[in-house]
Amino acid sequence: MPKVSVEFWTWMGKDLGADALSPSEMRSVLGVVVEHGTTARMLLDRLAKENPRVAEKVFHRERQRLYPQVVAILNDRVVREADLYDAVLSDGDRITVLPQYVGG
Amino acid sequence: MNRPRGYAGNILRVDLSSGRRWGEDLDERMVKKWVGGVGVGAAYLYDEVSPGVEWSDPENRLIWTTGPLAGSGVFGASTFNVVTKGPMTNLAGSSQANGFFGAYLKSAGFDGIVFQGTSPTPVYLLVRDGAAEIRDARHLVWRDVFDVEDLLRRELGVKEREVSIYAIGPAGEHRVRYSAIVGDGGHLAAHNGVGAVMGSKNLKAVVAYKGTDTFGIYDPEALRKANRELYEVARTWGPPFQKWGTAGGFSAIYGVGALPVRNLTTNLYPNHERMNGQFIRTHFKVKPKPCHKCPVSHVVQVTVTEGPYCGFVGEEPEYESLAAWGPVIGNDEVGATVMLTREADRLGMDCNEASWTIGWAIECFEKGVFTTRETDGIELRWGNVEGVRELLNRIARREGYLGDLLADGVMRASRRVGGEAADWAVYAQKGVTPRGHDHRGRWCELFDTCVTNTSTIESTFGGLKPELVDLPPVTDPFSHDEVSTLNAKFNGIRQFDDCLGICRLASPDPKLILKCLNAVTGWDWMLKDAFTVGRRVVNQLRVFNFRHGMKAQDERPSKRYGSVPIDGPTQGRDIMEKWAWMLENYYRLMGWDPKTGKPLPQTLKELGLAELIRDL
Repeated sequence: MPKVSVEFWTWMGKDLGADALSPSEMRSVLGVVVEHGTTARMLLDRLAKENPRVAEKVFHRERQRLYPQVVAILNDRVVREADLYDAVLSDGDRITVLPQYVGG
Repeated sequence: MNRPRGYAGNILRVDLSSGRRWGEDLDERMVKKWVGGVGVGAAYLYDEVSPGVEWSDPENRLIWTTGPLAGSGVFGASTFNVVTKGPMTNLAGSSQANGFFGAYLKSAGFDGIVFQGTSPTPVYLLVRDGAAEIRDARHLVWRDVFDVEDLLRRELGVKEREVSIYAIGPAGEHRVRYSAIVGDGGHLAAHNGVGAVMGSKNLKAVVAYKGTDTFGIYDPEALRKANRELYEVARTWGPPFQKWGTAGGFSAIYGVGALPVRNLTTNLYPNHERMNGQFIRTHFKVKPKPCHKCPVSHVVQVTVTEGPYCGFVGEEPEYESLAAWGPVIGNDEVGATVMLTREADRLGMDCNEASWTIGWAIECFEKGVFTTRETDGIELRWGNVEGVRELLNRIARREGYLGDLLADGVMRASRRVGGEAADWAVYAQKGVTPRGHDHRGRWCELFDTCVTNTSTIESTFGGLKPELVDLPPVTDPFSHDEVSTLNAKFNGIRQFDDCLGICRLASPDPKLILKCLNAVTGWDWMLKDAFTVGRRVVNQLRVFNFRHGMKAQDERPSKRYGSVPIDGPTQGRDIMEKWAWMLENYYRLMGWDPKTGKPLPQTLKELGLAELIRDL
C-alpha cells in the first residue's frame, strides 16, 4: 500500500502526537500508509477524524475542505484546490499544508 | 460647527513657503463621503494638485491623515496615511505607517495635516494642544532618522512616549525617489517616495505631542464590546503575529513559491528555515515594542546572538525587510538582515524598492554588465551584505555613478543602462516595484501591483480573502479568470481600511471593524457602504492619474516581473498568456471602459463622483 507524507507548517509543533516528527517549531511531519485509490481529500478527512487539532485548524470535516486560512500543495507544486482534493495518492507523494500569511 | 463623532473635526493646513498655519473644518458631509485616511487625502489631492504639477513642485501637496478609529481605543489603531503625487510614478501615491502618530495627532486636535509650498530653509513642525509651530531644523540636516528622534526628544525635554516623531533621513533630503517617512523607532510610510516629497518641501520632521482630546465617541460600551471581539479574532483567526511576527510567514511564503529569490532568477532558497521568524524568535534576544494600545504587539526589538552580527541591536525585520535583505539580494545570514533593515530605515528608504534595485545591480555585476569600475570597488556579489550596506549609504547620498543611478529606482536605472540588463529589472511599468514577494507565485498581487492607482497593492493584502466579505473563496490562484474577477470584486474594502486609521494586522475582520466604526461615529454602516467609499477612493485616484498622464498601456509588468518561473512550486505558470484578457475583464467589472481603462460616466455617478466626468 502507498506510503505518503503530510507536512503541517502550521505551528502545531508536537500537538499531533507521538507519530509525528517536529523538526522545527513550525513543522510537523506525519508518515501515513493509505489504501490504494485514496484521494488527498479522503486522507485529510481521515487525519481530521483522528486528530482534533487537524479538524480545528486544517480540514473542515463538515464542509470537506481546507479552512480558508490554510493552503495545501502537492509534491512541492501549487495546484488547483479541486485538483488537490481529487488527486489519487501514490507511494512517496507529499502533501504540505501551509498557512496563508500576510506581511509588511 | 458640530464636529462629527470620532473626529477632531479639524484639518491643519501648513504653507511651508510663507510659514502660515491655519485650521479647516472637517465636517459631517466630508467625512460621510471620504471617512478619513486615504479618502480625505484623495479628496485634497484631486482638488488641489492640478495636471502639470510635478512631484517636487511647491504646488504638490503632502497630506497626512488619520481616521475615525485612530486613537479611539480600538487596539493598535494609531495609523496615519500619507497621500501625495509621488516621484516613482509621478502619479498618486498612498502609504501608511503605524506606531503612535495617528492617535497623538488626533488627541492634539487634528485629523490631518496638509503641507503645501516649500520652506526656504530646513524646518520641522511641532503640533501640540490644537496649535502648530514651524521650527528651525538646520541642526538636523543630513542626520539619520534615529538621530533626529533622539535629538528632538532631548531638545524638547520629553520622554519617549510623550511625543511621536516622524522624519526623513539623508535619502529624502537627497530626493532619492524611494525615500520613506520614518518614525517611532522604525515605522515607515514608504511607498512612492513620500519621503522625497517631504525632502523637496524642506520639511525634516513632524512632532506630535500626546494630547487629551477623546473625540466624543458615540457609544463607548458598544466600542469596548466590539473591540474585545476584534481582539479575539485577531488572536485566533489568522497567523500568530504575536508569537512569530510577520516574519513567521517567511517559510510559508517560500512553500507556495512567493518568496523572491535573487532578483527572480530562481525560486529555490533551501536555507529558509534559518531565516524565518521562528528562527529569529527562538535564537535572538527579543524585546516587545508594541504600537499604541496594541496587545498583539507583533513589533519587537532583537539583539542578534550568533553569527557575524552577534550583538547587533535593531528592530526585528518585518517579513518584507527580511525578504528584501535576505533572498532578494542572495543573502542567507539572518543577523545581516537585522543590520541591513536598520541601515535602510536609518537612511530613510523603502526596503522593497531599494532591494529590487540592488538585486538588479548585483545581477548586472555577476553577469559582467557592471564591474568594480561602475561600483567604485565594491565586489557586488550575491550575499555581499557589507557591499550592500556601503551601496545603501551611497544611494542615500547619491554618491558616485552607481549611487546616483540607483537612487532613481530600478525602472529608470535599467532603462538608462539598456541592453539585456534592461530586461532583468523587476517593476510594474507605471514605475514602482512589487512588495516583498515573488508575485509570479501570487498572481492576485502581481495583477494588483500593475493596475493599482495608489502606487502599491490596492485591492489585495496578503493575497485575497474574499470570504471575509461574503464572496466565494479562491479555488485556483493561477486562473486568469478567477484572479482578475475576484480582484475586481474585492476592490474597495482595503481602501476603506486605509480610511480608518487602523492596522490591518490587528483588524482582520471587516464586519467587526464596521461595528467599531458605528460605535465610534453613531453611523449604521454595512459592508456595501464600506465598498462604496473604498471604490470611490479608487476611482478618484484613477481619474487623478489619467489627468496626470497615466497610460493604460503601462498597466503591465516588466519582462522579468511577468516572466515564467523556471523552478520551484510555481514552475511553468505564465500570467502573461492572457494578460490582455485579464485587463479587459477587470476593467469591465470595475465599471471602466474595457479598452482604455477609464472609469465610465455611470460608474462615477453611482459613486457620487459625477463632477469628475468632465475631467476625463
